[in-house]
Amino acid sequence: MSEVQRRKYSQVEKNSIFDGEFMPHIDSMYNFAYRLTFDEDDAKDLVQDTYLKAYRFINSFEQGTNAKAWLFRILKNSFINEYRKKSKQPAKVDYQEVETYYNSDDVDFQGTTDLRAESVKDMLGDEISNALNSLAVDFRTVIILCDLEGFTYEEMAKILDIPIGTVRSRLHRARNLLKEKLKGYAQHMGYDTEEEE
Amino acid sequence: MNEETSGSRKLRCDDTSKCFELLESILDGEMGDPGKEVLKEKLAKCQPCFEHFHLEQAIREVLKNKCTKQEVPKELAQSIREKLHDVK
Repeated sequence: MSEVQRRKYSQVEKNSIFDGEFMPHIDSMYNFAYRLTFDEDDAKDLVQDTYLKAYRFINSFEQGTNAKAWLFRILKNSFINEYRKKSKQPAKVDYQEVETYYNSDDVDFQGTTDLRAESVKDMLGDEISNALNSLAVDFRTVIILCDLEGFTYEEMAKILDIPIGTVRSRLHRARNLLKEKLKGYAQHMGYDTEEEE
Repeated sequence: MNEETSGSRKLRCDDTSKCFELLESILDGEMGDPGKEVLKEKLAKCQPCFEHFHLEQAIREVLKNKCTKQEVPKELAQSIREKLHDVK
């Protein structure tokens, strides 16, 4: 994960790393990019830029280490540095508001009894997707990385440049927010919740 | 202390915040084998933990299985290769 250029790959080696270790992740990369930007063209540009950067900095990639995590980190940084600026979605400000709010211990999710596992299982893909997409980008990101892409906390810490403890607590808060959204859908759709409106 | 029980499970969890975060780490596979032991005990003894665990598990399943995968544009890989060819 280090930026230090510790290798000097030959042209043949570079091509082999690029084709063998980088390109196989293009589907996951595009899905991540799309869930960050919500726009097909932006997602395409973001993935393309990421791959070009990956090639340019290929000497700082250690062959045999986790290429997917390395690529995701570049994509995430490109998104923050370039795309977030021009995208219309609210940035850092509201996330911090939310994070501070949910940092408080007593604002924990109270709803084990009013959102049921059964209602969640009955939900449609679109409802789940919409609930996920409605989260602020930093919360959305940890859920995508963990649940959709299967990264470990340690890999997520490296991708996001935050300590593992922060990964754990941000995920916990992200999941509480997601449950609130799902609870809203469950009530709206008339799924079985124990709360009376 | 709330020692009311439902069957053998207590109905109130003493520290949901801490317990739920721990359960989530276990579900994420971060606690290894010791996690499995803790989980067994919590599920057997604590109703809120039991419910939270099953809810979390259901959410992870739907996220993994139902979240629509965006179809990757066919030309993307080719376009990356072409751009790369230009910079090489």
